[in-house]
Order: sequence, then C-alpha cells, then structure tokens
Amino acid sequence: MGIDLTDVNKVYQSGEVEVHALKNASLHIADKSVVVILGPSGSGKSTLLNVIGGIDRYESGTIKVEGQTLHELKDKMLTEYRRHTLGFIFQQYNLIPTLTVYENVEVGRHLSENPLNMQDTLEKVGMWDKKDKFPFQLSGGEQQRVAIARALVKNPKILMCDEPTGALDEETGKKILTLLKYVNETYGTTVCIITHNHGIGEMAHSVIRMKSGEIVENYQNETPVHPERVTWA
Amino acid sequence: MILRKSIIRDMKQSKFQYIGVVLLLIISIMLYVSLSMAIATLDTRNTKFIESYNQEDFRFMVSEQADANQLSRWESAYNVQLEKRLVADVDFGNDATLRVIQTTDTINKAYISEGEMPTKVNEIAIAPTFADAHAIQVGDELNVRGQTLTVTGFMFLPDYIYILDKESDLLSDPNTFGIAIANEKTIQAVTEYPMIEILGDQAKDETIASLKEAVSNDFTILKWLNAEDNPRITFVESEIEGAQGVITTLPLFILALAIMMTLMIMKRRMEMQRKEIGTLMALGYRKKELLFHYMTYAALIGFIGTLGGVALGAALSVPLTNLYATFFNLPRISFFDWDVSVIIIGIILPVLLLLGMTYLVIRKPLSQAPLDLLSPKDMQAGRKSTIEKLPLFRTGSFISRFRLRLMIRSKARAIYIFLGVMFSTILLIYGFITYNAMDELVDTTYEDIYTYDYAVYYNTLQQEELDEGASGFTSSEITIDEVNGEKTQKENHKSMVFGIAPDTTFLQLLNNEGHSLTSKTKEGIVVSLPLATMENIEVGDTLTIRNSFNDRALTEEVVGITNVYVGNYVYSEHGKVNEFLGYPLNTYTAIWTEEAPITQENILFLEDKQDVIDNFESTSAMTRYSIIVIAGIAFLIGVIVLTLITNLIVEENGPSISLLKVMGYKDKEISKLVVNVYSPIVLIAYVCSVPIGMWSIEAMMASIVEQTGFYLPVNLSLWMVIIGFLIIMFTYYTSLFFSRKKLAKISLQEALNKQQD
Repeated sequence: MGIDLTDVNKVYQSGEVEVHALKNASLHIADKSVVVILGPSGSGKSTLLNVIGGIDRYESGTIKVEGQTLHELKDKMLTEYRRHTLGFIFQQYNLIPTLTVYENVEVGRHLSENPLNMQDTLEKVGMWDKKDKFPFQLSGGEQQRVAIARALVKNPKILMCDEPTGALDEETGKKILTLLKYVNETYGTTVCIITHNHGIGEMAHSVIRMKSGEIVENYQNETPVHPERVTWA
Repeated sequence: MILRKSIIRDMKQSKFQYIGVVLLLIISIMLYVSLSMAIATLDTRNTKFIESYNQEDFRFMVSEQADANQLSRWESAYNVQLEKRLVADVDFGNDATLRVIQTTDTINKAYISEGEMPTKVNEIAIAPTFADAHAIQVGDELNVRGQTLTVTGFMFLPDYIYILDKESDLLSDPNTFGIAIANEKTIQAVTEYPMIEILGDQAKDETIASLKEAVSNDFTILKWLNAEDNPRITFVESEIEGAQGVITTLPLFILALAIMMTLMIMKRRMEMQRKEIGTLMALGYRKKELLFHYMTYAALIGFIGTLGGVALGAALSVPLTNLYATFFNLPRISFFDWDVSVIIIGIILPVLLLLGMTYLVIRKPLSQAPLDLLSPKDMQAGRKSTIEKLPLFRTGSFISRFRLRLMIRSKARAIYIFLGVMFSTILLIYGFITYNAMDELVDTTYEDIYTYDYAVYYNTLQQEELDEGASGFTSSEITIDEVNGEKTQKENHKSMVFGIAPDTTFLQLLNNEGHSLTSKTKEGIVVSLPLATMENIEVGDTLTIRNSFNDRALTEEVVGITNVYVGNYVYSEHGKVNEFLGYPLNTYTAIWTEEAPITQENILFLEDKQDVIDNFESTSAMTRYSIIVIAGIAFLIGVIVLTLITNLIVEENGPSISLLKVMGYKDKEISKLVVNVYSPIVLIAYVCSVPIGMWSIEAMMASIVEQTGFYLPVNLSLWMVIIGFLIIMFTYYTSLFFSRKKLAKISLQEALNKQQD
C-alpha cells in the first residue's frame, strides 16, 4: 500500500508572517523502499516527514499511510498509528540519559505487540557489547545506533529518519546508512530519510527534492549504490 | 514499564531537591501524627480516669464544720453525692510543700500505679512526679512534722491532674509542691488544723446553683469551686483543646511548603525533559502512560514522606506522651492510642493533595503536541519584561544587572524563598518572644506589681488591727455580668474581686505606661490585662460584676487596666467591695505581708511569692529546651527550602555556569552572579516577617487568654531581632554552601553539549 500524499498543504504562523511549509505536495512512496528527501534548510522536508509521521497536522490534502487517512485520525488514534506503524530516528538521537543502552531499546520494545528480539536487534546495530552503558558514555555514532535499535525493535512498517547522519562524520555516517539499508533489506521496512546531504540520494530507490515547500523533483533511482559508496557532501 | 527505572536514577541526580521535599513532608506528617497521637492518648487517659475514678463536679469549704447528717440532708434534697475529706499542707524539706489528702471512697478516688493504698496510720502514697523530683521510692520512710510516714505506693488523683498548689498558680512544679494521700488519722497526726473540703458529684448545673444557695443560707462559704473552674482539672482539657490548633496549623503550613516545592521541582523536571517527552510521544507512548510516569515522581515523594512521617510520628508520640505525663498526672490506663483517622489523614490527605496538584502542573506540558515538545522552546528568555525596562536595569555594574535580571525572571522562586524565610522567622520570633515573655511576666506581675512577700488567706472574716508590715484586703469569686450594659462575651464569666486599700504599698497596679493605678481604685474599677483582653474592656467602660454568693451586683467605671498578666481580676476600694460582698466595713479575708505567719490557725492557704517565682524559673529550663527545638525546626525548614531553590537555580543555569567557567570566571564569581542573587529577598523577607510574626503572636496570645487565664506579654527586644537575623543568615549561607558544591561539579563540557541540543 505504501504512503500516498495528495495536494498536501501546511502553513505555519511565525509571528506575523505566514510560512507555506508545504505547497500542494503530492507523492507516492512504495512499500519496502528507501526514500531520500533532499532539500536545503527551510525547504519543508522536516515538515513533510512530520506530517507523514503523524506528529504534525496539515491544513488540506490527503495523506494515506498503510490505508489510514491521517487527517481523519484524532490525537489518540494518531498516537496508536505512531505506536504500531512507525519508528522515529532523530538527528540528536534523543535517548533517555538516565537509561542504559539496553533500557533505551526496551523503551521501544514496550510499545510493540510483535517486537524483535532485544539481543538480535542490539547485535545487528553492533551495540550488544555496550548494552549496559549510559548515553553519555557513547560516541555520537553509537548513540545513533541505539536510536536505530530503539526504532527497529518495534518492528515498524515505516522508519522515519530525520537527518540521521547530520551530527556524524563521514565514516560513522556511512555506517549508519549501511545499517538503515540492512534494516530495509532484512525486515522489509520502508525507510524515509530526510537530509541535506545530496550524496545520500544515491543509495535510495526514490529521491524527492524539495524547495520552498514544493516538491520540485521526484524520481526513481534504478541503480541505488551501497551506502559505503555514496558521495559524501 | 521500563521508564520507571529512570525515575530513581533521575532522583539520584537531583537528590538534594527530592530529599528536601521528602524531609519537609516527613516533618509535617511527623508533627501532625506525633502531636495528634499524644493528644489522643492524653484525651483517652483523661476521659477514662475521670469516669472510672469519679472526678468531682464541685467542691466547697465552709467556715464551720458540716456534720455527716447535714451532708446526708443535702444529698437527698439535691440528689447529689457528697463526701468530706481532710487536707493538710505540710513542709517537706527546705523548699517544698506536700499536700496530704484524705483517701476517699466514692469521689476523687485514688489510682495506685505502684505499691498499695495507704490504709494504716502513718502510711502515705504520693504522686509519682513528686517522688521523682525528691528521689522517693515505695517503702521509703519520710519524716513529716515529726511523724515517720511509710510510702506504700504511688498514686494519681482525678482532681489533681495538673498539680497546682492554688487555683491562681500557673505552672506545676514537683520540686516545690506535691500531693499525697493518707487516712484521716495520719492527717490529724501531721497537722492540728486540717482543712475540710466537701466534694460533690453526680450533680446537674442547676442543682449546683440551688445547693450553693442552700449551703450559703446555713454556713459562710469560704470557697466554692466547680470542676469547670478548677485549673487542676481544666488545664488538661484546655491543653487538649488548644493543641488542636497547633496540630493542624503548623503541619499544614509545612505541608503547603512541601507541596509547593514538589510542584516547583516537577515543573522544572517537565521543562528539562521536554525533548524526552516529545520523543516518547513521537515513538507512540500514550499520554496516560506518560502521565502515570510523571505522577510516579509525586507518588514516590508522597508515600516515602507520609509513611516516614507516620512511622516517626508514631514513634515520637510515645516520648511526647510521657513528656505530657510529667505535666499532667494521668495514669497509664491506656499506653498508646492508635487513632485510625490520624493515620488516614496523615497519609491519604497529603498524598492526594500532592498527586492532585502535580497532575495540574504536568497536565499542561503533556497536552502539547509532540512536535512542539521536540522543537526548542520559544526564546522568551531573550525578551525583556516591563520591570526589566526600568532605568534600574540599565544602570549599575554588569554583575548587579545580571543578578537583578535573574531574580526578576524567576519570580516564583523569589516568592518561595520569601515564604520559606518568613516561616522560619515567625517560628524563631515566636520562640524568642515566648522565652522573653515568661521573664517579663514574672518581673512585672510578681516583682513590680505584687510588692508583698506573702499573701495569707483566712477561712474566717478577720477584723484585727494590722501593723505597718501588713495590709488587709478582701477577695471573693464574682461573675462578670455586663460591659457597657451589654452581656459579656463569655457566658457565666467567673472572676475574682479584690477589695484593696488605695494607699497600700503591697500592690502597685502598674499600667502600660508604668503608672500605678492603686490609688485610682477609689474612683472606680481597675481590671487585669487577661480580663480586659477577653472582654474587650477599655478604660472608661462601665463594668457590672455580680456576687456569686448573694447575687448582688455592682456597676463601676473602669479607671484603668493593669499589667497583671495572670488571672481575671477586678480591683476596687476595700470598703466598696466589702459592702458589695455583704461583709462588715473593716473586715478582711486575707492579708499581704512581709513576714510569714507564725501559726496556721484560721489559715485557708498561704501564698509565698518567692515560691511562685521559683516555680516559674524552674520551668524556664523546659521553655529553653522547647525554644531550641523550635529554632532547630525553623533552621531545618529554612535550610531545606533555600537549598532546594538555590539547587534548582544552579541546575537550571547549568549551561550558563559552564559557559562562564569556559570564559574564565572563577566558581566564587559565578556563585555571586547566579546563586547569591536572592540575598536581597532573604533580607526583605526577614524585615517583613518580624512585624508579621509579632502581629500574629499578639493575635494568638489574645485568643489563648480565655483558655489559659494568663496573657503572655508580647515584647520584641533588639537581641531577638539580631539573633533571629544571624540564624536566618546562617541558614541562608548553609544552603549556599550546598549549592556551591553542586556548582563546582558542573563540567566545562556541559555548555558545548547544551549548545549542540
């Protein structure tokens, strides 16, 4: 079923100024694909991710995710939607500082009716050995791996990644992208990545470019490359 | 839920704050439970003792002997129970008086707590407090007036629950006065002139009045004392009644502080964890799951605080009850009374209040959209408030402007600091004033006003000429009927009238300005301060008093209010009072004198002023002890509140502190910039709290005058203000010391980390 957007508009009020964050955005994201949404700062890519992720509302248009029309869902149902359908990965990882690696991942597992095995998940992201460490004892890359494990352990259909490599160096960033690709291939999870790093588009099945709230380009990438080989911008 | 694990770790990270609020809760609940339970135990012991050992309804003394037949006639005519007993006051050692009371069969029966009832001649049982004070044990032999008396046991009497020599006495002192029981022959062996008291029980109010009238028709009543006017019986009831206010007011105020502090911490917690909350919401956590998570903080604080408070309170109630037992002689008919309602109120009410208020505080952030929580907070901190636009904020050094701004931006903190300092100051001032008041009460009443050494009260009217070393006066029980033609506020308000010679040198009725009003008794009535306070009497008012024995009334103008702090007294000219009482003009019922009387003949009782003063002074050690406790509580609460707030300020300003450190500021300088900002608030709070404290204590003293019959003078001395200030500043600097330690732990990296966020 995938994700379908039709003429989605979103307007922000910033002081006395109206900001048109999304203008008639329409697109289709196929099931089990890797999609990269590219654009400069203020282009609306985060807004797009947020409205698809159900953490923000939109003014008009339709968004259908796995057959559910988001604007018809009340707050409680949106919570259930995020709980059962999505996994979120943030640029600043947003781990709970007072919980260990293992416990942070448990925060995700608790939400799922059909979670993945904790050890498997942590081994997959290469953090099993550090499962008893606290976030402040980890590097940025390691914290992002934990955040991925936390999103992944829920076994979500869609993984929403907001600048997942934005705070990382090239080597660590590529490792994270490899992990996301692995998740997509192994679990059939749809992975949506927003980034301002153009090179990352090379690993995606489809690439969406945004500018001033509009989708200016949306194309299929017939020959996605391995994440280790993307051109790091 | 896994999130639960983060609560304890979170609390450990800010342990000062959580320990602080838990301690406040513990203090509040502990005070409530311990006082309530001690008072409940006291109440039960009192009620059971009164019922099981037939406490009297009234007692009286007449000038001639009323024989058994007369008593039987009164009993059948007025349907009351009467019993006669002999009483003798004997010297014990150098400074003490032992009142030996005849054992009774029906009214005021003795409870033997140890040993046996004295049944044979030369056997006595004594009050345990007197035994303790004089190291007397069961089986000891005492030499009393040349007789060797064997102590058969320790006992309690239901009409001497608060052991006072005279009804006008204020404090019980087992070092100088005690009671004992013995049979009739023993009493006759130790004194030639025993007093005869007639005790009455099972009487109704109207019966008492009719009986009194009948007795006065046949005999001269020297003294009539109903149980409700007998401080030996009523002091314990007044204490129970008076304690109710302290039981609820003080703990409630501390509870309110604890709740306010918890809410402040929770609000701060929610602000600090905005991003975490947003993340959890984005991950799919339901609001009620997060609500439950954050309510667990309050529940943990509540349950640890209340359970700790209840446990400590219950444990403390036992020594507290024993402490009460040293004042009130009540047998341990019940040891520990478990009042379920106290436990329920002690746990349920604070927890419910805490949870309810916390819910209101955390509901708002939890109702925000996850995206709003994930986004950085609006840069409100960068906007200037109206106050900040004042010229004051544009002038002065960088440090003073920085400090002022920080203070203005945390108005709630400033208010809490103000309240915390105010609470501690009022407690301290209360302690100091009470301490000082006892001294002033003794100095003014017993040294400046009562200039005699002894007051000798006779059991018959006297008319012998007196020499210069003595002054005769008349005293009798009266009822205050009307003030300015209107009925008094207190129904059936009992008082004492003194008919004095206006030129006597033994009584200087000083007023507030220090002028003697003694000579003004020719012109009208002078009233004591407790009476004036109770009935709102002012100079110039007219007062109507009624003779309790012959119902005659006297209306006079109030010409002055005297600083006699103890007792409901009315003073007037001797002849006028004699006429009012129906006594011949030159007779008197008592004398003030410089010398102790040689014989005990005709003496109803003797008041040795030095004994009264010693009595007060011996109890001042207890007052000092309670003031240390009060000062300790004031200090503890002050330290908790101030540490908690300054700690929060350090936590809140962590990134700024870190940045200042990176820039090269020293810890001391940063502390001056960030932590010490509330020094002016502490000063202002102290300056405001001193008069507020004075005012509230004055109001409290006026409200308790009815229960106690004495008015504690409320005067503030400079030393109190200075010592109070030093304690408050010490409290403040102790809290700063703790917060500076937290400040020193803030790492240089924190600034960078927060910048990345």
